[in-house]
Amino acid sequence: MTTEEETNHTEIDATKTEAFKQAFITMEEAFPYAKKMYQPDVLQASAKLMEEPEGMKFLYQYAGRFDAAGVFEGGPWAEPAKLEPRLVSGSLMATGMTAIVEILSELRMVSIAKGDHENETVSKEMAKEFLDSVMALNVDILFPEETEAARIEGKEKEKNRAEKLFQFLADELSLTSISGTLIEEIDELVAQRPIMVNRIASMIQDAQQLLENPIDAQDKKAIKRYVQAISGPSKLCKEANEPCDYRKRLKEATEKELKEEARTFAKSMHATGLVCDHHAILVRYLNREKSELLAMALGLSKKGVANLEEHISTVSDLIKVAIHPPMRQSVYGLALLLERGILSTNPVIPGLRRLIELDLQPEIRRLLLSSINKDEGITANDILVSGVISVLGQPLGIGQGMNPTCQTARGISLWSLHAPGYLLELIPRAVRDGDIDIMFEGQAIHSKNLREGLVDDLHEELDPVSLVLVPHLDRIYGELVRRSEFRGEDVHKWVNPAFYGNWVNKGFSSAIDAMTGSIADFSGFVRLFYSTHHPEFNEGHELIYPNPVGIFITNTFGEMLGLHAVSIQRIAKDPDGEYRIYFYNPNNDSSQVWGQGITPTVTGHGEIPGESSLPFHEFAARLYAFHYNPYEQGDAYAVEKEMVQKVEQLARESWGEKYTWVDL
Amino acid sequence: MPLNDLAQDLSFKMNDQQDRKYLQSQTTGPKKLEHKKRNREKKIALIGWSIPSIEALDRMGRKYLVVSLPEFGEYASKHNIPFFEWEFDRNLSYEDIYEQSQELFKKLTELDVDHAVPIFEETVEWAGALNSHFRNDRRLFDHSILFRDKAMMKRRAHIGGLRVGVFEEGQSKEDVRRFFRQVNQSLLRHHQEDPDPIHVKAFNKAGAAGHRIIRSETDIDQKLSDQNFPCLMESHLEGVEISCEAFVQGGKVQFLNITEYVVFGYSMMVPPSPEIEALRPAVREEVQKIVDVFDIDHGIIHPEFFIANDGTLYFGEVAYRIPGGHIFDLMKKTYGFNPYEAHILCCDPNTTEEELDGVFPEENDFTGHAGSFLVYPKSPYIGGVNVPPDLEDHPSFEKHTLFKPGVSKIQEQEGYGNHLGTVFFYNELSDHVKQPLTDYVDHDFFM
Repeated sequence: MTTEEETNHTEIDATKTEAFKQAFITMEEAFPYAKKMYQPDVLQASAKLMEEPEGMKFLYQYAGRFDAAGVFEGGPWAEPAKLEPRLVSGSLMATGMTAIVEILSELRMVSIAKGDHENETVSKEMAKEFLDSVMALNVDILFPEETEAARIEGKEKEKNRAEKLFQFLADELSLTSISGTLIEEIDELVAQRPIMVNRIASMIQDAQQLLENPIDAQDKKAIKRYVQAISGPSKLCKEANEPCDYRKRLKEATEKELKEEARTFAKSMHATGLVCDHHAILVRYLNREKSELLAMALGLSKKGVANLEEHISTVSDLIKVAIHPPMRQSVYGLALLLERGILSTNPVIPGLRRLIELDLQPEIRRLLLSSINKDEGITANDILVSGVISVLGQPLGIGQGMNPTCQTARGISLWSLHAPGYLLELIPRAVRDGDIDIMFEGQAIHSKNLREGLVDDLHEELDPVSLVLVPHLDRIYGELVRRSEFRGEDVHKWVNPAFYGNWVNKGFSSAIDAMTGSIADFSGFVRLFYSTHHPEFNEGHELIYPNPVGIFITNTFGEMLGLHAVSIQRIAKDPDGEYRIYFYNPNNDSSQVWGQGITPTVTGHGEIPGESSLPFHEFAARLYAFHYNPYEQGDAYAVEKEMVQKVEQLARESWGEKYTWVDL
Repeated sequence: MPLNDLAQDLSFKMNDQQDRKYLQSQTTGPKKLEHKKRNREKKIALIGWSIPSIEALDRMGRKYLVVSLPEFGEYASKHNIPFFEWEFDRNLSYEDIYEQSQELFKKLTELDVDHAVPIFEETVEWAGALNSHFRNDRRLFDHSILFRDKAMMKRRAHIGGLRVGVFEEGQSKEDVRRFFRQVNQSLLRHHQEDPDPIHVKAFNKAGAAGHRIIRSETDIDQKLSDQNFPCLMESHLEGVEISCEAFVQGGKVQFLNITEYVVFGYSMMVPPSPEIEALRPAVREEVQKIVDVFDIDHGIIHPEFFIANDGTLYFGEVAYRIPGGHIFDLMKKTYGFNPYEAHILCCDPNTTEEELDGVFPEENDFTGHAGSFLVYPKSPYIGGVNVPPDLEDHPSFEKHTLFKPGVSKIQEQEGYGNHLGTVFFYNELSDHVKQPLTDYVDHDFFM
C-alpha cells in the first residue's frame, strides 16, 4: 500500500486503521497453525473499521491478502468455492463475529471478481456470479427502506454494516447482471405456480427497486410485467387504483371496457400465476352484474367454460364467499378448478357447501383470521373456502412452507388430485371437531390424543388448508412412525399406505438397510426401480397415482444434507425424447442444485406447473425408497449394467460417502 | 493395679524414650526430590494440545514434540507440527497410568525426547510419570500426584504450615453428614438454623467440576449422588478468591501474577484491584511457602487463595500447569511479555538465571487492567449469538470471540463446562473493567 492511498483515507479514525494493520500483520506473520489465535483481534479491528464511512474501502485494500493471512482459517469460510449465496444474508444478520467474517469474505470475492486476487478454487467468473446472486437475493439490503418497522426489529448495527457492504458492492460491481439473476429466480418460482405467493411478491418488490437503475431493457420489461401482475395490469386500474375507486369505476364501465379488463387480467394471471386485488374486485362485480363475462375474466378454455356453465350457481356462491381482495390468489385457483372439472366429482359440491356454514373451533377461527390483515370484514369460513378452492385448483401448488412437514404436504396434494371427497372430509373433522382419525392395523388413531409430531412450532405462512390440517396430520404421521419402528424394515413401508390411503402400492423397497443403517445391494435396488418404473423395462405399466418416494437431498457439491419426501407424479419422455421423472416437491423451492450436474428443472422439459423433473437415471441416483406394485414388475435383468453402474457411481460419490456400503 | 498393666506402663516409658532417640537421629518430614538436569540436546514433549505453547516453542527455536489425542493428528500433520498421537484414557488409576506410561516413555525415548511438560490438568500425572522414567526417579511421579489428588495436596499443605480449611475424605453421604455436623458443632452452629456450609469436591478435577456446596442436611440428599464419591469434604473459607500464576525456577518465584476472580467461574482480571494488589507482599510470601512446602524446583504453579476480611490468606488448592480462563492472555495484554514462552523456560530444569534475565517485567509494571468474561451457553439449544447492544460501546470493551455456533445442540458438561466464547475488556482503571465483568453474568449471550 502506498502512502498516497493512505492519505485518501484521512476521514477514517487513524487509531482504528492502525489497530487493524497491526493485528493483520501479526496474523500474517504468525505460524500457519497459530493464525486462528490472532483472528479475534483482526476481526474486532475490522468490525470497528466497518462502522466508519470509508471502512469497507479501507478493508478492501487488504482483501487480496485475507486468505493467505489466515482470516478465514479453520472456519466455514476457508473454502470459498463451497460458499452459498443464499446463506449470506443469514450470516450478515447473525450477531457476533459471524457477520464480520461474512463481510470480509464478500470483500475477498470482490477482489477475486475484479482480478485483484487469484484463488485456486474460485475463478474470476465464479466470484462474479457469486456476488451477483448475493446481491440479487438481497436487493432489500441494497435498497434499504427507512421504515420504522425495520428499526423496531432491532439489529440496527448488523443492518447498517450490511448496507455499507452492499453499497460498496454496488459501487464496485454493476447492477445489470443482478436484475437478470433476480428475474430468473422469480421466473423459476412462478413457473411452479405455488398457492402461497408472498415470497414471489416480495421479490417482485425488490426487483422494482432496480427499475431506477441503468439495467438491461429486456430485464426492465420483465420486471414491469411482474410488477403489473401484482399491482394491476389493466387500463381501468391505472385510472382508479384504489380498490374503492376501482369498484366505482367498474360500475360506469362500458361492456367493451369490462371485456378489455377481463381479458387483460386473465392473460396476466395465466402468464404469471399471480393475481391482483382488482382482478378479485372485477370477478365479484361480474358475478353480480354480468356473469356472462366470468369465463373471460377467468380465462377459461372450452372445458372450463362448460364446467362453469354447468355449475354456475355453485360457482356464483363460491365467488361471493371466497373471492375477496385479501384472498385474490383464489381467482387463479377457481379458474384451474373449473379447468379440472372437479365440481363434477360427486362429493365436491356438497363438501364445499358444508364448509361455508361450518361451525369452526375458536382457535381455528383465530388462526385463519390471523392469516390476513385485520379489519378486512372477512370471516374465517371465507378464508377456509378460498383456501380449499386454491388447493383443489392447484394440487401441485401446495407447499410445506418453512416446516419440516413434506409428508403432510404431499398427502394434501395427493388427495386434492385423486381423492377430493376424502380431503373435504378431513377438513371439517379438523376445523369443527378438532380431531382427525385414521385406522392403522385395526386400531383407530386420533390426532386429538397425540401430543407431538415432527414439528414443534408450526410456521404459519401456509395456505389455509395446510394451516388447519398439518397439525393433525403431522401428529398422526409421527404416531404411525412410532408404531412401525423396530420392525426391521423402513417404517415407510407401513406408514405410507396407512397415511396416504390405498393409492399407495404395497410393494416397498429401500436402499438403506434398516437394521444396520448401511446401503445394501444398491444395484438390486436400482434394477427394481427401473423394472417397476421405467417404461422400457416395466412392460408399459403407467403410474396411475403419485408414488410417495424418499430421496437424499444433497447440496451443490453433492454432499448429503438429509432425507426428503417427494412424489413421483409421472414418468414420460420429454420434448427431446429423453425419459424423465416428473415429481412434486412440496418445498416449492426453485432451481435446486443437487451437485454432480444433477439440477431439477421446473420448466423447459415438459413440466406441468408445479412439477420438477430430472432425467430418469439422475433421479434414481438420489432415490432411497419407493413403492411399487408387485404385480407390475418387468425384467430387472434387462436393465443395462452400464446404466446401473452409472447410477451407483453418482450415488456413491455424493450422499453415498456418508454411508457404509455392503454387498449382500 | 493388675500386674500386666503395670508392666505395660513400664514398657511405654522405655519405648517412648527409645522412639524419641530414634527420631532425633532421623530426618523426618517430606522426602526431598533430587532435581536432576536434562540433556539439552534432546526434545521437550508437550503433553496436551496448546497452540500458543507450540507457537512459543517454535518462536524460541526449541526442539519439541507434541503428544496428544489422535483427533489433533490431522491438524498437526497439515501444519508440520511434530506430533505423536496417544490416547490418554481418563478412567485409569494413578498406578495404571504409571504402568502405561512405560510404553509411551519408550516410544518418546526413540523419538529423542527426554522431558515432559503437561498442558492440561489431566496430563499432569502423565508428564510426572514420563519424567520419572526420563530421570529414573519414581518420586517425580508421586510428586505430580500431589497436584492432582486434592486430599493429598491439602494434607501436604497442612503439614507444611499453610492455612487450610478442615478437610476429610468422604466415601458416602453418611460421611458428609457426619462431617457437616462435626464442623458445625465445632463452630457452635449445630443447634442453629443457619449452619455453616461445607464443600464437596472431586479429588482430581479441574476448575469447578464435581464441586457442590452443601448448605444444609437436605442438600446432602438432593445435591449428591453416588457419582460424587469418593470426595473431599472441606469447611468453608470466606473471602475474595484470587489465583496466582507463579513462574518458578531454581526453587524461587521469578514472577508472580495475581488474578482476581471477579465473578467466580465467569470472569477474572489481571492485575487485581488495588486493594488486593496491596497484599502482594503477603501473597508472595504464601506462594513462596507453597514452592518450599511442595518442593518445587521449576515450572508454573497456579494456586488459589481466599483472602479473609482481615487480610489473612487461606490456601485453596494448587495446580502445576498453565491456568485456564485466558489468564495468560490477560497477562500478555497488560504486562507485554509472552507468558507461554516464559512457561517453557520455567518448565525446563536446565534454564539458568541468565536465560531468565529480562524475560519478566517488573510486577508493578503493567499498563492497565485486562479482564476476560467467559460466555457459557445457558440453554441446551442455541440458535445464534445475542451480544448486548451496549457491550461493544463500553469504554473498556476490547474484543469478543462469539460466533454463531455451527451446531445448535450443546453437550452436557460438568461444572461450568467449556465456554463458547470470551469477551475481553481492558482499561487503565480496574473499576471500569470489574463492572462489565460483573454486569453480564445474567445475560444470555445466545438465542
